[in-house]
Amino acid sequence: MIEFRNVNLDYPGHAAALSNIQLFIGKGEFVYLVGQSGAGKSSFMNLIIKRHLPTQGEVLVGGVPLSRYRGAATAGLRRQIGMVFQDNRLLPHLNVFDNVAFALRVTGVPQREWQTRVLGALRTVGVEDKRTAWPLQLSQGEQQRVAIARAIVGEPLLLLADEPTGNLDPENSREVVKVLQHVNLRGTTVLVATHARELVESYRHRTITLRQGRLVRDDPHGGYQL
Amino acid sequence: MNYHLRESLAQMRGNATATLSTFITMTLTLLILGFVVLLTFNVDRTLSQLESQVEIAAFLSDGADGKALAKQVRNLSPVTDVRLVSKEEVLSEMQRDYPYTKDAVELTGNPFPATLRLKVAHVEDSREVAGLVGQMKGVEDVEYGAGYVDQTVKTLSTIRTGGYGLVALLLIGTLFNILNAVRVAIYARRHEISVMRLLGATPGFIRTPHLIEGVLLGLLAGLLASGLLAPAYLYLARQVDLLVPLLPTITDLATISPVLLGLLLLGALVGLLGSLFATQRYLRELE
Repeated sequence: MIEFRNVNLDYPGHAAALSNIQLFIGKGEFVYLVGQSGAGKSSFMNLIIKRHLPTQGEVLVGGVPLSRYRGAATAGLRRQIGMVFQDNRLLPHLNVFDNVAFALRVTGVPQREWQTRVLGALRTVGVEDKRTAWPLQLSQGEQQRVAIARAIVGEPLLLLADEPTGNLDPENSREVVKVLQHVNLRGTTVLVATHARELVESYRHRTITLRQGRLVRDDPHGGYQL
Repeated sequence: MNYHLRESLAQMRGNATATLSTFITMTLTLLILGFVVLLTFNVDRTLSQLESQVEIAAFLSDGADGKALAKQVRNLSPVTDVRLVSKEEVLSEMQRDYPYTKDAVELTGNPFPATLRLKVAHVEDSREVAGLVGQMKGVEDVEYGAGYVDQTVKTLSTIRTGGYGLVALLLIGTLFNILNAVRVAIYARRHEISVMRLLGATPGFIRTPHLIEGVLLGLLAGLLASGLLAPAYLYLARQVDLLVPLLPTITDLATISPVLLGLLLLGALVGLLGSLFATQRYLRELE
């Protein structure tokens, strides 16, 4: 599903963000990406969605090198990838239903399909009853669930979550991870960047550890060890 | 399409100051352009009337072969018509227009030379043709109202060129205004645009509301400019007609309507080009 081949990423004027990363994440896997702040987790995610291109090496998604995606093809790539962020990035002027439907609108899904698909996604993350609420009326945990619903409504092959529990209390954090696991059980590959030790320990999955831009550990049985 | 239209209207409402400033500049530019174009039409009509009226007179020396000279002059390319007027015909014209010349002729004989009267296709060629004819053997002197024709052509051409220069500057100003308005709109939407990008929206999808905004602004400005131009110009033309009835002012709708339609289309085109450029440039900045 995702392959990094000897990937280096440098930002001009800064130390290397990623150095010589080599790994493969298979279809349907649930993987944690852990490391301290500045370890390179976000850079890793940004390479997968082609926000950046590697300075050296190659990143492949679905067997296709990202350097081959240009212009509208990049949009096509991103439609196969759902993204969830720490700050959820919901649009405050749209209600819950419209926020999730927004993902369908911008990708040209016919309007007649929205109702079924949006309600299905909201049901999956457990906030179907909040569909007419505004983002600011929701708790942080609920907002993050809506963000996950927006990320999965397009039925992506891959779901990337960048610190999805960073702003949440332990209870809501656990709920969010459970939702991500549920999404993974439906066949979606899930990659979660986090530094929440208790979650990584409690819900064990393959765990990749980055330190100062280097891959220092790849444990198929999981566990948090920086 | 409904979504894009709604978005562009929301953008225009959200950035009311920038939108209004662009709209006013654009309207004024198109209005001035319309005036300059109509003025040019009037200038052109005046010039062609001048052309049809201006004659070059070549006075022949006694004993010159008028017919041979007329043939020679007819071969000059700017010349459209040549007429040989004999000494006697000139005298009778003069006696008809100025009866007192009869007394003078009794004293001195017929003092008037045989004359070639020519017309040229373009009034600005008068000086050149007069120079050529003046050098021909048998031609004593040439008159073409040099001061009057040259001055008129120069003045009218200056007005036309100055007008176009002003319009070019205003159009550039309008383009910058549109760039600014779209930039403000893109900045206001930057959060939404970044979400759209991550969700897989194509660049075209992101750009469309801004293009609609540019075209809408241009169309509305063109519409208002046309609406103001038509009555204002017709009023002005009527006043000029009253003051200088000899000037051939244009007041027929068949000539004015295409100018009004042109303003509308030009407004839309300038709006489209401005927003195309702005989206290409500023969306890249958000990457």
